Amino acid sequence: MPRSKVYVNSIGMTTIADHWEYSILDMAVEASRGALRGFGKKKPDQIIVGNMFSAVGAHQEHLGAMLADGLGLSGSPAFKVESACSSGGTAFNVGYNLVRSGAIDSALVVGVEKMRDLEPEDVSQALAMAESAEYTQFVGATFAALNGLLARYYMEQMDVSRDELSSIPVIDHSNAVTAAHAQFRKAITPEVVSRSAMISDPLRLFDCAPVGDGAAAVLLVNDRAASGTKRKMAEVLGGRIATNEFSLYEREDMLDFKSTHLAFRGAMEDAGLAPSKISLAELHDAFSVVGALSLEAMGYSKRGHASKDARAGKYGRGSELPINTFGGLKARGHPVGATGVYQIAEAYLQLTGQAGENQVEGAEYAVTQNVGGVDTTAAVHVFGRAS
Amino acid sequence: MSIQYWRIRDRYYRLIGSKCADCGDEFFPPVYRCKGCGSEHVMDREMPKTGRIMTYTVLHEPLPGFEAQTPLYLAVVKLDNGARILTQIVDSPEDSVKTGAKVRATVRRAMVDGDSGQIIYGYKFIVSS
Repeated sequence: MPRSKVYVNSIGMTTIADHWEYSILDMAVEASRGALRGFGKKKPDQIIVGNMFSAVGAHQEHLGAMLADGLGLSGSPAFKVESACSSGGTAFNVGYNLVRSGAIDSALVVGVEKMRDLEPEDVSQALAMAESAEYTQFVGATFAALNGLLARYYMEQMDVSRDELSSIPVIDHSNAVTAAHAQFRKAITPEVVSRSAMISDPLRLFDCAPVGDGAAAVLLVNDRAASGTKRKMAEVLGGRIATNEFSLYEREDMLDFKSTHLAFRGAMEDAGLAPSKISLAELHDAFSVVGALSLEAMGYSKRGHASKDARAGKYGRGSELPINTFGGLKARGHPVGATGVYQIAEAYLQLTGQAGENQVEGAEYAVTQNVGGVDTTAAVHVFGRAS
Repeated sequence: MSIQYWRIRDRYYRLIGSKCADCGDEFFPPVYRCKGCGSEHVMDREMPKTGRIMTYTVLHEPLPGFEAQTPLYLAVVKLDNGARILTQIVDSPEDSVKTGAKVRATVRRAMVDGDSGQIIYGYKFIVSS
């Protein structure tokens, strides 16, 4: 049976911020309504929620049925998908494969996370659940600590300087200035990074993605569900999930982001595209070093060179491969389980010419990379303009 | 929660990891299958208590329960058998904690499991050179 073409029909999202006044369901409903507005009176065949730690952040599980009811869609199949910070990208991959297989015609994929209701140390604890309770949490290590270990290793092995490492956060903040949904819309210099508070040496505050609340939604359709629409859509050309050895320190080569490499290679094979065709990349740069190693795993920079390349202007606005065109995780924000869906919504805006001041001129193909753990799970998707 | 840690107390006290019966590779934490050759013939094995720091960090905002130990010195240590372990570095002058430094294992209080929970002991490492 031929596989269906799959499109992103429409999107919705909240700003990423301290949404004290809104519950996790309030945010999920708002983002979903945005995406469903593009579907008239039709109902999606399936609802899939990407979320990492609602059990901790909001004492709430069973988000699928809860959101379906909130949207007046009780009766519809609905469930939650979890894979730490890649929950959003993974939920999208499930929806994509269901529509592509022909099993369903449409799916609403919603990523949501409520982080700011928690005290900062409880956020650290919740995020650490993505790593081994018995051997990582047991020694007191947070996610920032694991990335601090990785950053020092990267800098020492590859001779990367402090200011070079700062180059991706600088690009992120520059791009977020004109991004309406971004959490921190302020440009920074490398000095801002190198003078910010030390979190886990050598990583400083401005190496690390912030904590915020947010929800993003996309509506996936095949040709049948899209019939009659005159909307501009983006086509999903490919997408894969891959995993690495669970904990960073168990890996023979800590600098090899295997899951990103495998998922990217598979997604590009699905799409039948050479990596050089990609017009923009939305990266999972939860920490500066992760952005750099991700670009190296995708083959856009040589090993050890991504931060240096970024500093030389390779990944900025107007370059051959602009990254994080709305601010990436550092400046757009990183409401963990929602992040992967924000990235896809951003790719949609770029490919349908709706990115406003952030528009990448002539954008034809976009890639999104969403990661859980330190490259432990990667969900990579490739998009094109719908012809 | 205490039971989760009690169950693997030997792994914490004596650094019990795994050895592959086929290729001889050794691992900590323990594995179900050899990461080197893929064999399922793995058995418990006590790890050597010495190694070298591969990379380290100084963590200023540790997980809840570790506040009294802040800042926390954490390292990935390559043990003398090649296994890699994530551990705290304690009782060592600040400037001795660096990449390549020789370290040895010790047993220390690791965490207190809640207000009325048991005290859990585990491995930590000390710079030895």
